[in-house]
Amino acid sequence: MRFNEKELVSLSRQPSERAAELGMRGPKKGDVVKKRLVKLIVNFLFYFRTDEEEPVGALLLEQCRVEREDDLAFSIAFLDEAERKYLFECDTQEQCLDWIDSIIKASYEFMRKNLIFYRTEIHRLTGKDPLEQYGISDETRFQVNTGLPPLPAPPT
Amino acid sequence: MKIHEKLLTHYLSCPSPVDKEGYLYKKRERNTSYHRRWFVLKGNLLFYQERPADRHLLGVIVLEGCIVQPNPPEGQFCFSLVFTGPGLRTYGLAADDCLGQESWVHALHSASHTCLSLLVKELGRLYEEAKRVSGESSQSPPVTEKGLNQSMATFNPGSSYSLQGKGTAMRDPRAYGGSHTLPAPLITIKTTNKRSPKLWPKRNALVTPLNGPAPTYGEWPLVGSDTLEDFSKLHEHYGDEVRQLRADWLRRKHEEEGHIEEDLIDLG
Repeated sequence: MRFNEKELVSLSRQPSERAAELGMRGPKKGDVVKKRLVKLIVNFLFYFRTDEEEPVGALLLEQCRVEREDDLAFSIAFLDEAERKYLFECDTQEQCLDWIDSIIKASYEFMRKNLIFYRTEIHRLTGKDPLEQYGISDETRFQVNTGLPPLPAPPT
Repeated sequence: MKIHEKLLTHYLSCPSPVDKEGYLYKKRERNTSYHRRWFVLKGNLLFYQERPADRHLLGVIVLEGCIVQPNPPEGQFCFSLVFTGPGLRTYGLAADDCLGQESWVHALHSASHTCLSLLVKELGRLYEEAKRVSGESSQSPPVTEKGLNQSMATFNPGSSYSLQGKGTAMRDPRAYGGSHTLPAPLITIKTTNKRSPKLWPKRNALVTPLNGPAPTYGEWPLVGSDTLEDFSKLHEHYGDEVRQLRADWLRRKHEEEGHIEEDLIDLG
């Protein structure tokens, strides 16, 4: 599958939400912990060999489970394969918790859910749909499902 | 660089909503002809394949760091994804008609993670204000520990979203606000790192208690910049481009009445 690699590498050089040197271990049996510069940018986790310009790889942080493994380590499991996890070792407990928080909140789907929550609540409290002023109130990505109070139809 | 393809294809196939899908023409990198492809927009990822039923994906475009530009000089319903930066690509795309072009441009404009992030922050701020005004006690987005682990949120928007039947019809120009334009490229908003250091409260090993509230808005990262200003600027810029596109289309329509248009896209 083709992807816009140059553009993604360029993205990996942008200011990050969070970046640190962590111990990183892959999901396969026999993988060992390696020191990597890990950078969280939008919903991607880039990891670099120390002092290299181009990342070794990029992990999309959607549909994944982040868990505390012990005092200083957390894991990310993908593809509903709970046993195949990437392990990350931090220097302090605080750093470990910070990373877990940041990764969870980096997910596009997490942000979407929050946006829908805020939109519904603001509408409930004020009677107004906050997305109307931006002209995006009928964007599919921000729709609420039938279980919740319906929003008014956008002005025609 | 390894992209872990399986993670992308898994995201595409999971039950979270597809933001937009449909046929578009994609310009080949090295020559001027176009291929018709089935595109699927989900989150900040634009996937493409030959046909909707295909299991094999041809490719994906990560939509961060690009500007979406309607591109009439190229062809009638054309638009581009311009990645800003040295040596970075521009993707040439074209829709079947004006409505298609407009709705894709609109969807792609607001697809980036950066854009959504600003919007969420702004809405969070409005929410706090609305609560203050109404005198309600604080209620955070109900994300459980499970939700924090990406499985499901108790506030569940549902596993399927119905695609809006109507296209994004001509919008009320007033929706786009004032007429000033954004002088600098959009990319500057993203690369300016104005964040102040984040202070996360200490928590126990479960991160948050089961079924308890998620961190309140006040605990979210403090952003040095004015989020309303940032998002309004983004919105103005998008709005201007789309308005320009509409104006051009209307003008062309008047001018070309009775004129048989030739095929501007080489399908051969």
